[in-house]
Amino acid sequence: MSSLIPRPYSLLAELTHRCPLHCPYCSNPTQLTPTRDELTTSEWERVLLEAADLGVLQVGFSGGEPLQRRDLEELVARARTAGLYSNLITSSLGLTRRRAEELKAAGLDSVQISFQSDEASLADSIVGAQAHSKKLEAAHMVHNIGLPLTVNVVLHRGNIERLAEIIALAESLGAERLELANTQYYGWAFKNRALLLPSRLQIEIAAQLAKEASKRLFGKMEILFVVPDYYSSRPKPCMNGWGRRHLTVNPIGNVLPCPTAGHIKGLRFDNVRSRPLGWIWTESEAFTRFRGTAWMPEPCRSCEFREIDFGGCRCQAALLTGDATVTDPACELSPFRREMTGFVESTQQNVPTDFSTRLEELLFRQNSWT
Amino acid sequence: MVSESIPPTARPKLSARARLQTDKITGKPVLLYPEGALILNPTAHAIVSLCTGRETVEAIAFSLATRYQNSVPEISNQISAFLNRLRAKNLLELI
Repeated sequence: MSSLIPRPYSLLAELTHRCPLHCPYCSNPTQLTPTRDELTTSEWERVLLEAADLGVLQVGFSGGEPLQRRDLEELVARARTAGLYSNLITSSLGLTRRRAEELKAAGLDSVQISFQSDEASLADSIVGAQAHSKKLEAAHMVHNIGLPLTVNVVLHRGNIERLAEIIALAESLGAERLELANTQYYGWAFKNRALLLPSRLQIEIAAQLAKEASKRLFGKMEILFVVPDYYSSRPKPCMNGWGRRHLTVNPIGNVLPCPTAGHIKGLRFDNVRSRPLGWIWTESEAFTRFRGTAWMPEPCRSCEFREIDFGGCRCQAALLTGDATVTDPACELSPFRREMTGFVESTQQNVPTDFSTRLEELLFRQNSWT
Repeated sequence: MVSESIPPTARPKLSARARLQTDKITGKPVLLYPEGALILNPTAHAIVSLCTGRETVEAIAFSLATRYQNSVPEISNQISAFLNRLRAKNLLELI
């Protein structure tokens, strides 16, 4: 049996939900976990070792803001000794030069800093803090001390028209990789999707710009741009298949097949405090529920793409239809696609030219500091 | 995928952000980089090991053609394809 179960390659370690920012598309659940219940240093160290033994090669230290954890350096060092490639996924707020150098000395392999725009006023209004200038300083500093830099920008209706300037910013920061991540509509972003979803024209122009820049910067900066599934006829191969490549451990130790799987009602998640990670990966209800193709209903079951897109995203199916077991509504073969398309069409009119005038309509999580 | 030809006199050097190590599960060489990993076959491993910034693409081709008793043009094609894959991920400097 176990020979049929794939090994995981990547672990997302969500160290905390604490964050000084409050992005309206935050990927954290709308119910944040309390700080007092967070895993301890030694519990995280055990998770890292168990993950490496399972086959995991990559760990992303994320959150919330992972820099809020004072033991981040220790965890990075443990990841390194376990043979994991480590990536710090951060807003960069709180990243002093000293701390960056300590993280590098501990063995950190790369740093991903999020930006919201190329210019401060829009960027700061999105995150609800004066963050942009600090991010610029931190990104320069990361580059100067020789840590490889990825710039990540979540794209939405309010910033997508600044894409050319955003690409130029990433270039000027010496980024080796630029992730142009179209907003994924779960949790906070789902609550705000009518204001966040770009228009079809915006997406078409952005995709073309990204393609041209990718060609121009070949060998200098890797650029990733994926058309959002709301504008695609096929669903995304979410997580490259459920329980197939990836696991997420949330701040309190629950293990999830993807960062947003907590949205699926009725799915039980096991915890690293009571079960070994290996058991959770191979045997737990959450990981076995949608692994492989046996769970699939029609039209997925007989579809020639079932091993390519794996039926799309379970969280999106649950969110849009109330049933996590049906075909992802982003698929043109889904009977629910019509509703998604209807929503997309309803947002094509009245595109606000100045996003900042609509900010008060967005729903934000509370900022939280230590 | 975007690609461009690499001059035979270029000296490829693996980026500092890529790390080569042995995979615990398969015992094979694996190349790690931001958000990804490549488990390497023997040819790919040999190519990566020669991407030190000292050898030219031409010299790498000669060296591997001898080692694998293969023709230089054939091995050059394999090398180009693999190096372009690394370049697309920005994992290779050309010196």
